[in-house]
Amino acid sequence: MAEDGDISRHYRELPREEPPRHLDDAIRAAARRAVGTRPAPLVVPTGRQRWYFPLAAAAVIVLAVAVTLHVEREQPDEQLVTAPAATAAKPKLEQLRSEPRPERRRKTESPPELQKAPEPVPTLPPAPPPVATQEPPAVAGAAARPSAPKASAELRRFDEGARGAPALSASALQSPEQWLQGIADLRKQGRHDEADRSLAEFRKRHPGYRIPEAMLEKVEKR
Amino acid sequence: MLAYGGGDAGAFETLYARHRGGLFRFILRAVKDRGIAEELFQEAWVRVIDSRTRYAPKARFTTWLYTIAHNLLVDHWRKKGLSLVSLDGEDAVSESADPARQAEGRAALARLLHALEALPAAQREAFLLHQEGGLSVPEIAAVTGVGEEAAKSRLRYALAKLKAAVDDG
Repeated sequence: MAEDGDISRHYRELPREEPPRHLDDAIRAAARRAVGTRPAPLVVPTGRQRWYFPLAAAAVIVLAVAVTLHVEREQPDEQLVTAPAATAAKPKLEQLRSEPRPERRRKTESPPELQKAPEPVPTLPPAPPPVATQEPPAVAGAAARPSAPKASAELRRFDEGARGAPALSASALQSPEQWLQGIADLRKQGRHDEADRSLAEFRKRHPGYRIPEAMLEKVEKR
Repeated sequence: MLAYGGGDAGAFETLYARHRGGLFRFILRAVKDRGIAEELFQEAWVRVIDSRTRYAPKARFTTWLYTIAHNLLVDHWRKKGLSLVSLDGEDAVSESADPARQAEGRAALARLLHALEALPAAQREAFLLHQEGGLSVPEIAAVTGVGEEAAKSRLRYALAKLKAAVDDG
């Protein structure tokens, strides 16, 4: 076949048609599926996993920061409510209806100063002897220890308003010894009725206090 | 093919890259319709994939592949009421088989293409198997299911007609 070479040469010069790309892809995919290997899908999940991890980590960090900020923001709020409450008057505290938790309300209604103070008495004992002659009475509670003139002034002021304010008595602010000494002074001055009332009040306030013999002779009516 | 049958997808890629162009042109120039050619081309490869575990290397892979394509063409012609057989003689040349007249005034390549299209189907197939698949006469005979003499004759007629068409400038 001598003409073979010549025709072949001419034939090779004809357009070289190729199958379309989509046909190539379909056939190759079918071949891969048939043997159970899927190179293309194996690449995609790997890439996706590469994205998922940092994304998940970032989400966790953002969540943690948000929770921390939220907690931080709540704590100052509590302080804001309790700090002024410690110094504020009771009615003002009751106005704070925004306080939902009973623990907080308890905290704000009983500041440390009032907890240390003795129970209020319904009736006042007679006024103690003139303070000018006495030692300045110590206010209950070591935290508030005023100077002598200041304490006297406070006691006077307290004595003046005592009848209108039965919550606290001046005697209650004294030590038992000072209180008894005041009663003894009343006896000396012949104000026995006042001394009796004050002594009765003293016994009510200090039921377990054992009055020394020497003092007992001075304060009891003979 | 044996490697692909054993599960090596990469072996199929090699086979496909080597034969895709030739097989596609073989089918396209046989049916002269791109849509049908694509359909038959895909079907041929699907049959290759489906036969991967049954493949026995009795002949070259190329011979086996073009045999599949040939069978698909036969089915295609049968569906259309046509036949590839007994088209060897001059009498069987189609009415548009005067490539020289049709290609008159055109370039040699255009005349060759027209001559190829005008060839009897069996001669064209023999020629395309020889050119695109690189098959020898015995292999063409094996693929087309005819004796070697018949295959040789088909190929000789085809070449002669094509040469006449090219020289007819």
